[in-house]
Order: sequence, then C-alpha cells, then structure tokens
Amino acid sequence: MIVSIKDSIKLFGISIMTCCAVTVCNLFLNYYMDLTAIADLIDTPVAQVFYDAQLMTAKVVCAVSGGCLAATTVVMLFFYIKHYIDSHSKEIGILKALGYSDFKIAKGFSVFGLSVFIGCLIGYLLSFWIMPGFYTKQNAEGYLPEMPIHIHWILFVLLVILPLLVFALIAVGYSLLKLNQPCVNLLKGIVKSKGKNHDVKDKKSFVAEMKSSVLRSRKTLVFFIAFSSFCFSAMIQMSASMKDLASDMMGFMTFIIGVVLAFTTLYIAVTSVIRSNQKNITMMRVFGYQSADCKRSVLDGYRPAAYIGFVIGSVYQYALLKIMVDIVFAGVEGVPEYKFDFPICFITLGVFIVVYEGIMFAYGQSMKRIPLKQIMSE
Amino acid sequence: MIEVRNLTKYYGIGESRFKALDDVTVNISDGEFIVILGASGSGKSTFLNVISGLEEIDGGSVTYDGRQLENMSEKELTKFRRDNTAYIFQQYYLLPHLNVEKNIKMGADLDHNKDFLPLIEAVGLAEKRKKFPSELSGGEQQRVAIARALAKNPKVLFLDEPTGALDENTGRLILDYIIKLQAKQGFTMIMVTHNANIAETADRIIKMNSGKIVNTTDNTDKKTAFEIGW
Repeated sequence: MIVSIKDSIKLFGISIMTCCAVTVCNLFLNYYMDLTAIADLIDTPVAQVFYDAQLMTAKVVCAVSGGCLAATTVVMLFFYIKHYIDSHSKEIGILKALGYSDFKIAKGFSVFGLSVFIGCLIGYLLSFWIMPGFYTKQNAEGYLPEMPIHIHWILFVLLVILPLLVFALIAVGYSLLKLNQPCVNLLKGIVKSKGKNHDVKDKKSFVAEMKSSVLRSRKTLVFFIAFSSFCFSAMIQMSASMKDLASDMMGFMTFIIGVVLAFTTLYIAVTSVIRSNQKNITMMRVFGYQSADCKRSVLDGYRPAAYIGFVIGSVYQYALLKIMVDIVFAGVEGVPEYKFDFPICFITLGVFIVVYEGIMFAYGQSMKRIPLKQIMSE
Repeated sequence: MIEVRNLTKYYGIGESRFKALDDVTVNISDGEFIVILGASGSGKSTFLNVISGLEEIDGGSVTYDGRQLENMSEKELTKFRRDNTAYIFQQYYLLPHLNVEKNIKMGADLDHNKDFLPLIEAVGLAEKRKKFPSELSGGEQQRVAIARALAKNPKVLFLDEPTGALDENTGRLILDYIIKLQAKQGFTMIMVTHNANIAETADRIIKMNSGKIVNTTDNTDKKTAFEIGW
C-alpha cells in the first residue's frame, strides 16, 4: 500500500503534540479522579475551598490545554495528509488509473493514527513518571489528606485507545475528501491555482508577488507559525508566574512543554515551506536572485503571523492565570495577587526576536546549499 | 567572448567516479548561435551547466570577457547570472502559483524592465496573461519560459532541449521565434539538443560524445525553423 508505517513514524510532530496533550491531561485527570475519591474526607472549610480549587484547576487545565492541543493535532494531521497527497500525486494517480477506489486508497491513511497512538502512549507513561512529585507539590500545604495514586484504566482508554481510533477515522475521512479529484490531475500533478489576478501595474515587485503567493498557497502554515510563537510566548511567561502561583515543578513543566511545542511546530512549518518551494527557490537562484531575495519571498511573509501569535499568547496566559487566581483560587489563603508581568513579557519578547530571527536567518542560509543542478537532472 | 579551456568535470566518487567532460576547449564569440549536438550521456547538458555557472568546474577554466567563473564566490556567481545569463529548460519550470504575467516579471525585475508587456504580446500570450501555468498547453508554457528569460535582456541565453517536450508544429514556431529574436537583439545563444535537424539553424555546430568535442562545423547553409526536417 502507498502509505506505510514508516510514513506514519515520520509524523513526529503529531506524536510530540499528542504526547504533551496526554501528559498534561492524564496528570490532571488522574489527580481529579483521585481527588473525587477523597471528597468525604474533607472536614474543614479551608480544606474544602482548597479542594474545590484543585478540582476546578484540573478541569480548566485539561479542557484548555487538552482541547487546544487536540485541535492543533487535527490541523496538523490535515496538513500532513494534504502534503502527502500533493507529494505522492503521481503514485496515487497511477493507483486510481489502475482501478483502485478512493476509499481503498484512503483506508491506507488510517496508519497515520499510529503516530497519534505513539505520542499518546509515551505521554501516558510519562505522566505516571511525573505523577508522584506532582501529587506531593499539589498538596504541599497539607490541606488535603494523604492521597495514593490509582491507575484509572478508563483514562487509558480515553487518552490512548480512543485517540488512535478517532484520528485514524479522521485521516481516512479527510484523505477521502482530498482524493476526490480527477485521476489525470493527480497524474500530471496539476496544482490548483490560488493566486490573485491583479494587474502587474500595481508596482509590486516579483519578490513581493512571490511572498504573497507562498502565503496563499500554504495558509495552514500561517496557523502553525502563529501557534508556535503563541506557545513560546504563553508557556514561557506562564512558567515564570507558575513558580509564584503554583510550584517550581509546574513552572518547569510548562516551560518544557512550551519550548518543545514551539520548536517542533516551527520546524515542521519552516522545513515544509522550504521543501515545497525548493524548485521555485532553485529557479530564482538560477536566474540570479540572491539567497536573501529567496528568503524574503519564501519565509518573510510569515513574520507578521509569528508576532501576532506572540501577542495572543501573552494575552492568553494573562487571562488564564487571572481567571485561575481571581475565580478558581478565590478564597484560598496564601495565593498572591496576579498582575501582568511586564519585565518577563519584554524579556520573553527579546528572546523570541533573537531566536525567531536567528532561525529564519539560518534557514535563509540553508537555501544557498540547495544544489542548482538538481533542477537540471529532473 | 566565452573562452572554455581544458574543461573537466567528474561525477560520482570512488569506483563509480567518471569523467563527464574530458578536456573540452572551445571559444564562443559574442552574438553567435551555437548548437551542442549529441546523444544522451554525451556530456552536452553537463557542458551547458558548467559553462553557465550552475555547476562547479573540476578542471580547466571558463572565462567571460576576461572574468574566470571558477574564481568566483557563490555570491559573485549569482550576480554574474543575474547580469549576464538566462535559461530555457525542456521542462519550463514555471512558478505554478503565479500567472503568466508574474512569471515573466521574475526575469523582468532583475533587469528593472518595467516594459515587458510587449514581450507577452510578442510570444502570442496577450490574451492569456492572467492564466496560471496549469491552464496552459505545453507550447504556451514554453513561450512563457522564453518570455521570462528574454525579459531580463540576457547577454547569453542557454537553452536545454527547448523544443524537446513540444509537438512539431509548436516546436517549429518556438524555434523560429527564438532564432529571429536572437538575430534581432544579437545576444549569444547556446542550445543543447539531440535533434540533428535543429542544428542546421545554428551558426556553428559542436558535436559531443563521451564528454569530448568530436567535431565542430561552421554552418554556412543556415536554415530557418520551417526549412529543416523534424
């Protein structure tokens, strides 16, 4: 079959995304279920307020981070499937020409669910590794009675088995939609034109035209770049505040998840945009455009999305922590007042600018290494 | 003037290493139209890639008006291509998400050529200037590639089997258009082909085999694209 297990393993971005989602969700859901089991043992009003806040935190964190990461994983899966069909259009076209039905080909895409399974399983196991320390930190003040860790198998089904089935089904359904096109288009690799047909008299340079065209042809990547900087901004700023509001461990966990998600998404987005424009970059260089021009036309169009993502991330983390402190933990003693941390925001922005622009510069330089002769040998 | 001296090019490593170009020497005058003729694997495309600065030289030298290609840095080579050369390939390599006009703008911008619309008319695509490559026939796509190359007003035009993917009628029309334009504008033109008939339209025919020049003929009886066999 055209899609192999090896192809599924290549979708490590999805595995990382689901690993982070399941680590966080299993950690908090397991904690939530263990908390509900000790509801009858809460005997003081202070402990009750703390207990309710812990339950609410677990629900909010699961819903927000789990929901957000699950939605991003779906977008990423769509992106991978579309990219796979585009880059294997000839092989798929041959299969269709030989008489394979769309459904028969689409069924093969169900193996992409495997990358979800791998991520979920690793995340599930990872959460149990972190769990003892997490339980201790969550009850550092000793408001709650001692709470042993139980393994809730329903969570294994919900967070590992169910995602495998759901994402396999989504992969089949979406690929079925994408395969619904004439066989000859697939064989010839005909690209649907998404350009705008305005007049060239508008004085826009070729590089500017190319920049707009690259953005239009890969809109999903705008989302990924924005999501990457969103994660970087939100999670790093949040991790700094977490140290005061929760614990060092929670801060460290948030920081690691933020950095991993940000860099994974950025890597996937940028390598994908360069790979899909490799021929165009080569032709530009053959004609005498410098690599700086190639970088401007292929990568610079995403810069506004990156900075918008950073701003949204800052606002998001502020809103989330404000809600947690002012509503969820209202009445709990010892929780400090939360205010937007401008110094941390500016430091994060500074680091973000250096890291983002540095990575873009490095990718720009890598365009020089694309061999010109490859276009001749096709 | 392009001076090629003892040009050598290797491909592969270890036991699979072989000589793709073997001690090739040739002079090409300004405004000359040269056809490099040879069978598949004769080294003609490698020769084109090397003398146009797309591939590195392993031995010998290529000199353009006194400037040696092998001594240029990557940046200098890019600038050299920008200021001097243009290419037309058998597979066109148009940018799929840009329409005809914007594809041609790719070449025009490099020469600050704002007046390239007449060129679109000259290649007979005025009515299709808003179409995308996927909406054009092979012949039309090749005409876009030609207009894109000419829009940068090159001093040297390299063509690698420009009619290889076209039917006879379209091939003749395209060839005729390029030859007339070359005669009118006077740029140097170096074309690679395996079609011996096409060679009859050139000023000089260079035959290659196994990476070597085996014969050079000055063509005194130049024919038009419509007079040759196909």
